[in-house]
Amino acid sequence: MNISAVIERCLKEGREFLLEYEAEEILAEYGLDVAPAILAESPEDGVAFASEAGWPVVLKIMSPQIIHKSDAGGVKVGISGEAELREAWDAIRKNAADYDSGAEIRGILVQKMIPTGREVIIGSSRDPQFGPVVMFGLGGIFVEVFKDVVFRAAPVSEDEAAGMIEEIRSAVLLKGFRGEEAANIPALARAISRISRLVADYPQISELDANPLRVDANKAWVVDARIILSAKEEE
Amino acid sequence: MVSDIDKIHDQLQPFFTPRGVAVIGASRKTGKVGFGVLKSLVEGGVFHREGLEGFRGDIHAINPKESEILGVRCRPSVLDVEGPVDLAVIAVPPKVVPKVMAECARKGVKAAIVLTAGFQEAGKDGSELQEKFLKIAREAGIRIIGPNCLGLFYPPNKLNASFGPTLPRAGAVAFFSQSGALVDSVIDWALKEEYGFSAIVSYGNKADVDVPDLLAWAARDPHTRAIALYLEGVRDGRYFLETARRVSPIKPIVAMKAGRSPKGVKAVSSHTGSLSGSYRIYQGVFRQAGVIAADNLTEMLAVSRALAEQPALEGNRIAIVTNGGGCGVMCADYCQEAGLELPDAPPEMISRLDRTGLMHPAWSRNNPFDLVGDAGPDRYRAVLEEILTSDAYDGVIVIQTLQAVTDNMGDARLVVELQQKYNRPVLAAFMGGMISQDGIRHLLENGIPNFFDVKMAAWTMKAMYEYGRLRRAGRARGRQ
Repeated sequence: MNISAVIERCLKEGREFLLEYEAEEILAEYGLDVAPAILAESPEDGVAFASEAGWPVVLKIMSPQIIHKSDAGGVKVGISGEAELREAWDAIRKNAADYDSGAEIRGILVQKMIPTGREVIIGSSRDPQFGPVVMFGLGGIFVEVFKDVVFRAAPVSEDEAAGMIEEIRSAVLLKGFRGEEAANIPALARAISRISRLVADYPQISELDANPLRVDANKAWVVDARIILSAKEEE
Repeated sequence: MVSDIDKIHDQLQPFFTPRGVAVIGASRKTGKVGFGVLKSLVEGGVFHREGLEGFRGDIHAINPKESEILGVRCRPSVLDVEGPVDLAVIAVPPKVVPKVMAECARKGVKAAIVLTAGFQEAGKDGSELQEKFLKIAREAGIRIIGPNCLGLFYPPNKLNASFGPTLPRAGAVAFFSQSGALVDSVIDWALKEEYGFSAIVSYGNKADVDVPDLLAWAARDPHTRAIALYLEGVRDGRYFLETARRVSPIKPIVAMKAGRSPKGVKAVSSHTGSLSGSYRIYQGVFRQAGVIAADNLTEMLAVSRALAEQPALEGNRIAIVTNGGGCGVMCADYCQEAGLELPDAPPEMISRLDRTGLMHPAWSRNNPFDLVGDAGPDRYRAVLEEILTSDAYDGVIVIQTLQAVTDNMGDARLVVELQQKYNRPVLAAFMGGMISQDGIRHLLENGIPNFFDVKMAAWTMKAMYEYGRLRRAGRARGRQ
């Protein structure tokens, strides 16, 4: 896949928000483990995918006009069979039409659910002084309430990323708290390092959120991602 | 990449060891900057203090209307000076600065400190004027400190090219400050604290010479062993990161960043015309660059002094020696909060100490080493000899509370003697003020940081440990 081509195509279409599947394709290209998914054009596509990849799955509307998918009723989680999938599919199509009748629907992303692991966030933005920076923190209240996050100027090595993970106060929760399985810290460090490399390599990316990733004993899975472009190229 | 550091050092060196200094805009009027800076060069400072001396090299006063000020002959222009002028200190009104800079260029000046305010920080016209004199300087290869700054101090060369109060004592900390007013106050405070500096630079608008340049200079300055940094914002974040990352394994950098709150950021922006990034990002960048972040001025100054004057702390195993139980307990609490370890005293050490006949029957026989209130220098000596020659500890905090039988000066002398004999990290908490001031001064004069509050001693030890760890990691990377 040619990342520059994807970015240019979006900018040509006048879009600064990449669709989730586009963002996830880019992350996969940079070696991240993205939850398996297809951009389905029909419920049959979705059922075929889920039968092979395994149930349950999540359905998410993919439309350039619908940035906040959940607000538009465009997300259904925990779909565990064919009938349920068809029902969810119709509901999402209807909700999307109600939300914006003119919305162009590119398909519905059918994504395998990753049920286990700690939720973490890896983000990036551009600082006026330091350029691309990468942020890491644990998902949910740890970021929202405690602001327990750490920043670095991008890119960072895997060693530096491991240092970032150690630095947050909630790091202990990744190490197997109260009998929970410990998260794979090296895999998480690799994910942080690769995202930091991506934003350093592509100055057109002004913001990126891999939120959340689910980190279990084996892998750090990206289950949702957002990339925002900047039309003007910054140095 | 090390060659970059050498190159920058050499470019900046004329600021610190100039052949000939000219004060452009020298004045006879005592309230004027042009008077203060000339007096500072000639006498070492506007405020006199014991032992103060002025710059020994050639000093020239530039003022077309005067023939002599403070015994220095005045000339109409820098071009009229015979002999070299490496450094120009410029204190003329903003509009005249470009003309004066052009004369400096013709004269072959290598470095200029522009004290004058009213440039970038004053709006569009000021910015244009700043660009104008910078262009002249750049074409002539003149490096600029300022404008809108207090100037610089280099005690090893008795050079006070500033309008600050006086030349500080010579020491091993280089202090670089975006605020000139802060420099004024720190100098006065430092005199009382027996605190010495290798250099102080107020860098103002950093139109040319910026923090990374100063860091590179300090990395190669033979008098500097640690760097203290007060900053509000950096101009080029990446240049700062890359330079600080290279300098920090050579010399420790302790930074205090202001403009962390929304109000603070606003004050900073109007203050020096610089953008102030999010403090969380600065914290991350400091980590990446191996810069130790100080929370406040006291911490910045204490930690940089300890790093400059004490040997590297190779591990985090600390011994606490005290003649007051409660203060030992407090110190132990703070050490543990700071992630330092307080290993138990080895049994053979305890029995050797018991056999000396110097110990009180009720001494703690453990770490913290509570020697009991009647401890005199002999007892402190016996215990410190054991600790400083032991493999069980990496550093010591020596606490002395002032009790009726305490020999304050005797304790101070022996702490200095043993620290010098064994050259291992020692911090002191001689807790007192007036009556114990002689002992405290003796410690400070001999490079042993002293704190009234044991918390500061513990946090300083922690910073010393962090730096030691950073430098070991740097060495390990260097071997790869």
